[in-house]
Amino acid sequence: MKIDVEKSLLWTSVAAFILFAIGAVMTTIVPPIVDKTLWTTDRQIHEYTEQEMRGRAIYRSEGCVYCHTQQVRHLASDQRRYGWRLVEAPPSEAWEYVNDKDHFLGTKRTGPDLARVGGKYSSEWHWAHFKDPRNMGEKFPDRKGIYEKVSIMPSFAYLSDQEIKDLTAYIQTLGRNVNWRVDENGNPLNDYEQ
Amino acid sequence: MKQDTAAKTAIIASTLFFGLALTMGLLTALKFVVPTVGDIEYLSMPRVRMLHTNINLFGWLLQANIGLLFWILPRILHTKLFSEKLGVATGILYNIAVIGGLVSIVLGRVKNVEYGEIPAPFDYMIAICWVMFAINVFGTVATRKVKYLYVTVWYTLGAVIWTTFVYITGNMFSQMPVVTGINQANLIWFYVHNAVGLIFTPLGVAIAYYLIPKQLDTPIYSHKLSMIGFWVISFVYVWTGAHHMINGPVSYWLQTVAIIFSFSLIIPVMAVITNFFGTFATAPRGTRMKGPIPKLLMMGTVYYILTCLQGPFQAIRSVNEITSKTDWVVGHAHMALFGAFSFYAMAGVYYVAPKLAGRKLYSEKLGDLHFWLMTLASIPFFAVLWIGGVIQGFAWLNPENTFVDTLAALKHAHWMRFSTGGVIYIAYFVFLYNVLQTFFGKYADEDETETAVAG
Repeated sequence: MKIDVEKSLLWTSVAAFILFAIGAVMTTIVPPIVDKTLWTTDRQIHEYTEQEMRGRAIYRSEGCVYCHTQQVRHLASDQRRYGWRLVEAPPSEAWEYVNDKDHFLGTKRTGPDLARVGGKYSSEWHWAHFKDPRNMGEKFPDRKGIYEKVSIMPSFAYLSDQEIKDLTAYIQTLGRNVNWRVDENGNPLNDYEQ
Repeated sequence: MKQDTAAKTAIIASTLFFGLALTMGLLTALKFVVPTVGDIEYLSMPRVRMLHTNINLFGWLLQANIGLLFWILPRILHTKLFSEKLGVATGILYNIAVIGGLVSIVLGRVKNVEYGEIPAPFDYMIAICWVMFAINVFGTVATRKVKYLYVTVWYTLGAVIWTTFVYITGNMFSQMPVVTGINQANLIWFYVHNAVGLIFTPLGVAIAYYLIPKQLDTPIYSHKLSMIGFWVISFVYVWTGAHHMINGPVSYWLQTVAIIFSFSLIIPVMAVITNFFGTFATAPRGTRMKGPIPKLLMMGTVYYILTCLQGPFQAIRSVNEITSKTDWVVGHAHMALFGAFSFYAMAGVYYVAPKLAGRKLYSEKLGDLHFWLMTLASIPFFAVLWIGGVIQGFAWLNPENTFVDTLAALKHAHWMRFSTGGVIYIAYFVFLYNVLQTFFGKYADEDETETAVAG
């Protein structure tokens, strides 16, 4: 029997499906089988509290991910830029995300990356920043000047006080699995809940 | 039911959604320069962005493509649409789903899937509509009165089959409780990239494959190139999702696989482009650029070649280091979905609307005006995003620039984006007026109807 693909609805469909299916299987089903770090890890990993889970939900519904990525890439420029007090940030690894029901890797950095932001700023700072990113009041006067002119982050003053606290609690966990920030003697700081 | 009601419903609804999507786009651009504009919960910048992408993808482009194919398929296959009633029902359910999805987004009820924020149950409704559309496509092909399947039909069949799996993977499988972290990211980028590559590319190319030879009254340049383009893309495109995580926290080999296949995309794209340009080149010289339809098709093809040359190079690790996560990517995405496929869809609307209304296009002059405004505004619109992206990418390399410094460098680019976007917005209303007049308006000289080509 001679198959003439161009005359046959069945053969065109079947061939198009098979060609597609090879790539689809190889890129969606095979990776987690070959590379278990995509979904599991032996290392100690932060379990989110209930409050932090609420914070994650707010992070999702407010669409923070559209301006803030959560991945320090394996690039010197990323590691330096998102480091802390001359300590370079370790690049993000797949195992750090295994507890994240929703991933927030992101595609666009309109604002800075947040993968290692936990503990860098006090929760008070975040509070003032969510209320008005361009004018954070007298306590943080350095936010005047260039920030006032340049920062284009929307104000999240419409969130309730409790919601801002939840969101902040979540943000303070970011980068926690590595606990990379150290004091001058090289001891981990572990100072996330200030 | 009257023939072509399904096509008419979808086309008119989609043209209206297009305006809403552009409004949201313009508002997003405005918020980049004046962040305090519309500073309320329901119009916060991320929500407006989600509305912009979802209305464009589902309200406008996908619906326009569905409507156009409802009209084109029966013509190619010399038959009637398999079920007009099913087609109209698809259109109605689809619009309910999209509107419901948009309201959910405004209220902050979203899925964590880029391009798939529309939450349950509305995403399931979209999936059902897709199956209804698929039944109509397969039914129409099965009841055809011609032997051979033309290229447009291959692409449509391919898109219908692929999209079913792509959409379900991205919107349903990715939400299963066991799918977390990077594994979920991989599934979602499989969806995000293939939403463009295996939904809008094949549908857009299918429409262009019908319109270009029809409009120019010239046979397609090369049948062999059509075949190469189709069969290679159906194998190659699907592998590329992981190129969104280059240098990121995902297996190195998976990145490399995505890069190799992203680069291979040059093959099918060049086959298609050569075919389109070849058809233009062999068409009668005097009339090949007359009126808005061939112009839109030509410009769409130019944007298609540009966006598909950017793609492979962006995927290379060293280039990606500069362009990824910057405005460059935004420019790239706009050129694919707006530059290439929306231009094809607008050409399709200009072609099909007069046939549906049973008379000539309301005004070719307005059509030309719309084309020139949109084209001349979209070139600087895309360019300023790339230039801004490269500036941003290099500025990030220097740790002495604080993040706000790198953002301050883009102030002019963002103003430019808003103002050129404004011109595109104005051009849209010329398009809308022309289309609505064609359907519902009163013509100065009603005698024209006699010379019109009946649908």
